[in-house]
Amino acid sequence: MQVRPEQSSFLKKYRWMTVFIVLSFGVLLGRLVQMQLIQGRDYRDQAHNLMIRRVTLKAKRGVVMDRRGRVMVDNEINFNVYIVPRYFPPEAFGKLKKYLKLDDEQSRHIQKKILGAQGDRRAFSLLAVPAITWDQRARLETNAFELPGVRVLTEWKRRYPYGNLAAHTLGYVNEVSRAEIRRLKGYRIGNKIGRFGIERQWEYYLRGKPGFERFIVDVRGRRQNDKRLLRLLGPPSKRRQRPRTGSNLVLTLDLDLQRIVESSLRWHPAGAAVVVEVNTGRILAMSSKPAFDPAMLSSRLSREQARQLYDNPYHPMLDKTVMGSYFPGSTFKVITAIAALEERLANTHEYIFCKGYHEYGRKSAFRCTSKHGPMHFHSAIVRSCNIYFYTLGQRVGMNRLSRYARDFGLGTPTGLGLNGERGGFIPTKAWYAKNMPDGFRIGHTLNASVGQGNVTTTPLQLAMAYATIANGGKLYLPQIVQRLETSEGKTVRRYPPVLRRRVQVSDRTFRLVKAGLRGVVNEPGGTAHNAWDGRLSVAGKTGTAQVIKRERKSRDPRDWWRFEDHAWFAAYAPADNPEIAVVVLIEHGGSAGKVAAPIVMRIVRDYFAKVRPKSNRPGQGRRIR
Amino acid sequence: MIFPGQPMGRPMGGIRFQLDWTIFLLIGAISGVGLLNLYSASGSGVSGRFLQQIYWFILGTSAFLVVATIDYRQYNHYGYWIYAGGLILLLLTLVVGRRVKGSTRWIGYGPLGVQPSELIKIVVIVVLAKYLHQDPRVEGRGLKDLAAPFALVSAPVALILAQPDLGTALLIILIFFSLMLMSKLKVRSFLVLMSSLVVIAPLTWTLMLKDYQKRRFLSFLDPDADPTGAGYHLKQSLIAIGSGELTGKGFQQGTQSHLRFLPETWTDFPFAVWAEEWGFIGSVVLLGLYLFLIVWGVNLARTARDRFASVVCIGVSVMFFWHVMINIGMVSGLLPIVGVTLPLVSYGGSSVLTFMIGAGLLMNISIRRYSY
Repeated sequence: MQVRPEQSSFLKKYRWMTVFIVLSFGVLLGRLVQMQLIQGRDYRDQAHNLMIRRVTLKAKRGVVMDRRGRVMVDNEINFNVYIVPRYFPPEAFGKLKKYLKLDDEQSRHIQKKILGAQGDRRAFSLLAVPAITWDQRARLETNAFELPGVRVLTEWKRRYPYGNLAAHTLGYVNEVSRAEIRRLKGYRIGNKIGRFGIERQWEYYLRGKPGFERFIVDVRGRRQNDKRLLRLLGPPSKRRQRPRTGSNLVLTLDLDLQRIVESSLRWHPAGAAVVVEVNTGRILAMSSKPAFDPAMLSSRLSREQARQLYDNPYHPMLDKTVMGSYFPGSTFKVITAIAALEERLANTHEYIFCKGYHEYGRKSAFRCTSKHGPMHFHSAIVRSCNIYFYTLGQRVGMNRLSRYARDFGLGTPTGLGLNGERGGFIPTKAWYAKNMPDGFRIGHTLNASVGQGNVTTTPLQLAMAYATIANGGKLYLPQIVQRLETSEGKTVRRYPPVLRRRVQVSDRTFRLVKAGLRGVVNEPGGTAHNAWDGRLSVAGKTGTAQVIKRERKSRDPRDWWRFEDHAWFAAYAPADNPEIAVVVLIEHGGSAGKVAAPIVMRIVRDYFAKVRPKSNRPGQGRRIR
Repeated sequence: MIFPGQPMGRPMGGIRFQLDWTIFLLIGAISGVGLLNLYSASGSGVSGRFLQQIYWFILGTSAFLVVATIDYRQYNHYGYWIYAGGLILLLLTLVVGRRVKGSTRWIGYGPLGVQPSELIKIVVIVVLAKYLHQDPRVEGRGLKDLAAPFALVSAPVALILAQPDLGTALLIILIFFSLMLMSKLKVRSFLVLMSSLVVIAPLTWTLMLKDYQKRRFLSFLDPDADPTGAGYHLKQSLIAIGSGELTGKGFQQGTQSHLRFLPETWTDFPFAVWAEEWGFIGSVVLLGLYLFLIVWGVNLARTARDRFASVVCIGVSVMFFWHVMINIGMVSGLLPIVGVTLPLVSYGGSSVLTFMIGAGLLMNISIRRYSY
């Protein structure tokens, strides 16, 4: 073919043009290779992230029951408002506030929560307002069209049917924090976690296992049910897994006794009480005053509520039964007595004369409650004579005294493990040498022998020690949970009583000490005799523990209660064949015999009258004059 | 030999007259892809949109046949009349056109609306071809010689910018530049042409573009910068294409489009839908079809009987080329987002009509190559 002259001007460029076109297409091809072949997998994951939603199906927490299967903690239906920030327009917030009738503090908190979600988090639903009422729910649902991205879900919420009964022991739950989600396995935003007491210690069993559901949504978050799309989710096991309800716990607590104990404490603002089974170590009742309301703590506290809780001078957030370390006062004298008898440094015939003060140091330093005159072993326990036990303590010595105290489980945590249990403190010579400016002195031993100075115990420790005396030397591990059940009620595991050790003390010693403890209640002049009704079979020891030296007493009379002594009564009953050990501590209660002993009496009386099965109720205590 | 100025209007047909099956098959295949893709993109079943596109294809095919049948020398002859008609149509659009989303691009009634700005591309190609045909310089063109074609192009471009329809104006300018580069230019004119681009670009940027347009334009540089706003479309489009991987998700199973993460799939993003459902293989096939057609058009220009035909072939090929490059470049994140259709695949009557007429011109020229 011919080349026309005017065409020839184009000719050379055709080739260049073709080359340019092919190269340009090459660029597109390269881009496709990069996107579809090299990065294809990433893009596929991104596409999946956009359309596949995963929701956690929360597991129902296990139920907590008392030893007779009466429910102490369970779950109730609750309406929670969830918001997906991505779909929630900021303008809608005013409407949300209006329909829910939120106050300013609440709405600020919620707004902060919504705005806090950034990036991909915006696609996940947040628990914005927990526990709304039926009315609020109705208003939200009738106006749902104005509130995109807002859902009301019906979920389970923890219920504490007896309010603050045994609050410290049962504990409470609330929302898991971001830091915990990072640290612990298997928690997601919005999950509840046990915060205190049983709820916390047994979290692993109570929480159950959450299930999940994965589904496909379109750009508006609407769920898709196209079979072909559902295939992308994988096998059915990856689409949905039902949540597993947590295990039920059967506690050793007795609901009736717990109520009796708490009602006995009702006149006192602060204190603690523990009732344990002498022959098993099982805790039948446990109370710390003042208590908190677990339901209130399970949701977000208002600033005012939080202030009241944490500024309260009686420390409601402290479980005084295990977290409180107190001077045991005269209740500790049994240890001194046992040590002296065992070490053959005391006998039942020797009299020691009490003239109101001890011959050591200043006259004012080591005093007795009165001038008891001649005291022997039995009467010294009954009347709680300090001078007698100073003398015994001095003979036994610090280190031996501390060895016996430790043998009874004092000075180390009992092993209950609840609420960060404290171990109290039993000092030794070495400890004083190291920690005191003047080193160890006899005065330290004297103080320790009457449960002052540096000796501290928790109410639970003391209860376990008295149970050991009551049962003749068997130190048990305290128990709060006796059985683990599936949610259907099938027993999974039993927790039999665990004997920690046999205390190395002779039967004779126990017999003599127990006679003394019985005298405290039964004999005129006994420190708890006035609290006795004349029939109840109880043995125990009072303790009036000085808190702070009187010289340091504040000038402000409104503060004087802080310097009142703690009132203890540690007891067991019946006196002959003990079943329960009871320890009551009234903080700043004053005289033990007047304040703590009557409470113990009431608890023991009601235990035998109302709690213990009638069939093997022992005869009432003998009338002893 | 045919020389310019020879009497026109010779009846079609010479000794060797035959259909160009290649063009026929290529156009058929691309249209098939387009319809298949639209069927998928517009949801299951035959939707109104799909039916309407079918009607437009029927109309387009008729236009193709009519355009191919009339001897192209008639177009050369009536070139300026066609041009005048095109300008009038553009003016009419501005006066009585329908306003959609802030710009006046549509003229006509109901479903029969057309965008004259689309069709004007063909008109510009024809009129430039006529001009170059009448002014066959063998030596290089100086700047003065560019004045006339420049004027021919700037009138419609101005009218289109008034609508405003940036994408189409840009395409016409691109076609103009491509054709001018193909004709013999002096080095100096070439440089001036290039530098004028450099001047015009920032001026357009500051004077013509609104903020949202700038944002949209720039979002391709970093689609994650504003994932809910301007970058959103692009990001979804990238995910759609990439997640197609080698073999695609299958017909009608593209999740990005069917779950509506990728919006407006049928006009600007049909390639993303196609790439998602048919994967790398499907994408390469479609690219191959376009490349084949464009190279075939350029080749036709080389063998065409006269200069008018050559320029028209180049013009139509270049129109296809820039549409494909810009559209696919845009949906794959190589180029900024401008509303440019993918030839015969994007939904839209005017676009279909334009490319069908363009293909008709190619066919016209092809079958008359050897007829004297």
